[in-house]
Amino acid sequence: MATEKNDNQPKKKFSRRKFFTRAGIGLAGTMALLYFGRSPIRRKISDFTSEMDLPSGILDFDTDLWFEINPDNTITLKSPKVEMGQGIFTGFAMLAAEELDVDLDKIKVVHATTLNGAADLAGTGGSSSTTSLYKNIREVAATLRETLKLAASKLWNVDPSVISTKEGVLTAGDKNMTYADLAKQTTEWKAAKTPELRPESQFKYVGKEQKRLDLRDKVLAKPIYGIDTDLPNMVYGSVLYSPYIGGTLKKADVSEAKKAAGVLAVVEEKDWIGVVANTRFAAEMAVRKIKAEWDYKAKYATKDVLETITVGKGNEVNVQKIGSVDGLLNTENQGTLRSEYRTPLGAHAGMEPSITVADVVGDKATIYTSFQMPTNMQAAIASGIDFSKKNVDVRTGFVGGGFGRRAMKHNAIEAAKLSKAVGKPVHLIYTRQQEFQNGYFRPNTHHVLRGQLDANGKVSAMQHELATADMVLWGLSPLAMTVLGADFISAGHGSHIPYAIPNRKATMWQGVLPFTTGIWRGVGMFANTFAVECFMDEMAQKAGKDPLQFRIDHCSEDDVLKRRKTILTILGEKAGWNTPKPEGIGRGIAVGEDRKSISAAIAEVKIVEGQIKVTKVTQIIDAGKIVNPDGVRQQVEGATMMAMSAALYEEVQIEDSQVVPTNFHNYRVAMLMDTPQIEVIMHEGTPKPLGVGEPPMAPVAPAIANAIFNLTGKRLRSLPLQAALDNFDKK
Amino acid sequence: MKLNFFINNKPTSVEVDPDMPLLWVVRDEVKMKGTKFGCGQAMCGACSLHVDGELVRSCSYPAKMAEGKKITTIEGLSPDENHLHPVQQAWLDIQVPQCGYCQPGFMMAAAKLLEEIPNPTEDDIKNNISNICRCGTHPRIIKAIQKAAILKQNSNPK
Repeated sequence: MATEKNDNQPKKKFSRRKFFTRAGIGLAGTMALLYFGRSPIRRKISDFTSEMDLPSGILDFDTDLWFEINPDNTITLKSPKVEMGQGIFTGFAMLAAEELDVDLDKIKVVHATTLNGAADLAGTGGSSSTTSLYKNIREVAATLRETLKLAASKLWNVDPSVISTKEGVLTAGDKNMTYADLAKQTTEWKAAKTPELRPESQFKYVGKEQKRLDLRDKVLAKPIYGIDTDLPNMVYGSVLYSPYIGGTLKKADVSEAKKAAGVLAVVEEKDWIGVVANTRFAAEMAVRKIKAEWDYKAKYATKDVLETITVGKGNEVNVQKIGSVDGLLNTENQGTLRSEYRTPLGAHAGMEPSITVADVVGDKATIYTSFQMPTNMQAAIASGIDFSKKNVDVRTGFVGGGFGRRAMKHNAIEAAKLSKAVGKPVHLIYTRQQEFQNGYFRPNTHHVLRGQLDANGKVSAMQHELATADMVLWGLSPLAMTVLGADFISAGHGSHIPYAIPNRKATMWQGVLPFTTGIWRGVGMFANTFAVECFMDEMAQKAGKDPLQFRIDHCSEDDVLKRRKTILTILGEKAGWNTPKPEGIGRGIAVGEDRKSISAAIAEVKIVEGQIKVTKVTQIIDAGKIVNPDGVRQQVEGATMMAMSAALYEEVQIEDSQVVPTNFHNYRVAMLMDTPQIEVIMHEGTPKPLGVGEPPMAPVAPAIANAIFNLTGKRLRSLPLQAALDNFDKK
Repeated sequence: MKLNFFINNKPTSVEVDPDMPLLWVVRDEVKMKGTKFGCGQAMCGACSLHVDGELVRSCSYPAKMAEGKKITTIEGLSPDENHLHPVQQAWLDIQVPQCGYCQPGFMMAAAKLLEEIPNPTEDDIKNNISNICRCGTHPRIIKAIQKAAILKQNSNPK
């Protein structure tokens, strides 16, 4: 393991064996895609991917890629997962501390870079960091502890078994030494075998409330984000992108821009023009002087988006089939119900805009950024400026809000090209308008649901047809779209009908839009749970049953459904489902599931002068074993607010081939004045830690819509709900 | 053009375009990174700071307007890191930040609110602070401001 002052330790090399393993994965992946592309098998892979535990994307667990022992006897943990508010640094440090025998505050967590630390092929997302690395981090920490013991045993000439470790000190009889002193004296390390992990019953930190490790820096406003990067001789960029969807540069006159004060260079590319200047203000003023004409398809608008994304259009993939719904869903039959739902395009609108500082010197590029997928960015830059990947170091800072936005469409290639042009580091941000117009969106959706009640008022058959655009196919091989047929992995996530209904079918229709759609916190669950859980409410109403009891009645003894039943029961009791409602309040319930993590919410709403006000949301989460309780609470509160914001207000519209939102005045998000009372209940229904960041996004929108129905008798079947209510009242 | 002002009580001179937003003067020229860029149009409040005691959204405030004035940024809200402003202390106690990016702006807005309304009700807070947070720290911000009000009164007995 390297110490700060001991850089002559051989850096872990990319071994041939590992290389072949990775190449093998690539090849096997392609073969698998071709195999699974056969349509009867698509459904199987859909079942598999909707329930599978996401892999961490990390293949290297050598101690020196993860840890450094510092001269002050602190330990640096180089996290390959990015801290974007979810508290992952704190969780990882807690896990490491269990095996390292150091106090939690002696662990300093930093981001691994693409050239220093374990490579992460998956990036940070999918609420998978804790669940996928829960064991690995403890193993690599335990291995480090045992490796230290081996080194001490050689130094002291004692058997390693007599050495104990406590608070960063190794002890054997009357000998003792800090980890740091040992690291200083050791030149040759012998890696220990990974020992047995300590039992969870001995955990000192995990499961107990810990303050976030980044709390103080964030309250003191330390320069920790990508945008805070400041390098000697740094200059500033500003880029002009097409303001039109699919626009390409027809011609441009940059002569005035070149003459503007402070301008150092103007770079013209196929789809953008960049200016570098001594100050950001000068660069922005110069960009305004560019006269550009764009080629684009005229008059594209929201109605075209809706037309493309419609059930029955595009490529059809069957993602779930249990029993048969044929003949059961005829709307002429008594007890049959058919409803359509829609959700709009959504923006991430994270507070820190996309940001890159590129420092290109010779054949090496150092990139400072805020990004969820540094290895993807490294590859993009290497190919974008024709550099070798080993010469591109991507160093991410803390991310000022991820929400899926920092997975692609960054400005790193632009920054690298601008830096190359001036031979200085260039700081480049997206403006807020570019963040809205040149980023990507949560795809809109259209849902057709059909259900049949039997004579006992239980659902005997249900069908969910979903139409949407893709969220992740851009990240897979080019074959993916052809082979898989639809992005059921992300956009279709949550489209399965989860309840114990004997006959179930889910189908996805993949549309292709002329702009980029992508991951957004909760992926497809946000939209799909809205449709499925509102429809369950409609079925309950038709059956004349209580919505909570109706859901419980459709849970079986299957493990996940049993957990669903448990949390619904607890939620109902704690949120007072059966207590009288205050005057003017409506109450609604919904439940969602994400890779075995289950979250359910009861929302209370009122309507004041036509405006929907959510007054209270009680949300329960069963994400299995909890690492840091207040970390989970923060995520559930945050997801509740963000999902409520998207449910009530958020919508990206398109007019005249332009994205309408340009800033927060035409993309309304929830603010302090919209804040409901939020209660969080945590239930550990299974021993394994599961995802937390996204699952609680799922039940909020349907719980609110169901509460509005409860209050007004109006079924609002499209998001955002405020617009749906306005339209309902106009009719 | 040369502009002079006090930043966190320190006399400061910069040579900048007088129309440059104060935000970029503070971040890029004076190199204090606590004040954040969010929207560039005074809508989100991430860039909030105080100019002569008034709450200002510095992304849309030309530097020349600050000439000769006293600017307080988040870095100057507390006398030092061991004596935190009640708002910062409450932010720590309630554990408000998630990604944390919008929090400096919220804390500057909260500090100003407490000067005008020492004992704000929940509605006072909701109606007077229009900053934007996307992580959903809203419930904790409200709690923290109410806690800060108590901390502030306890530290300044009158």
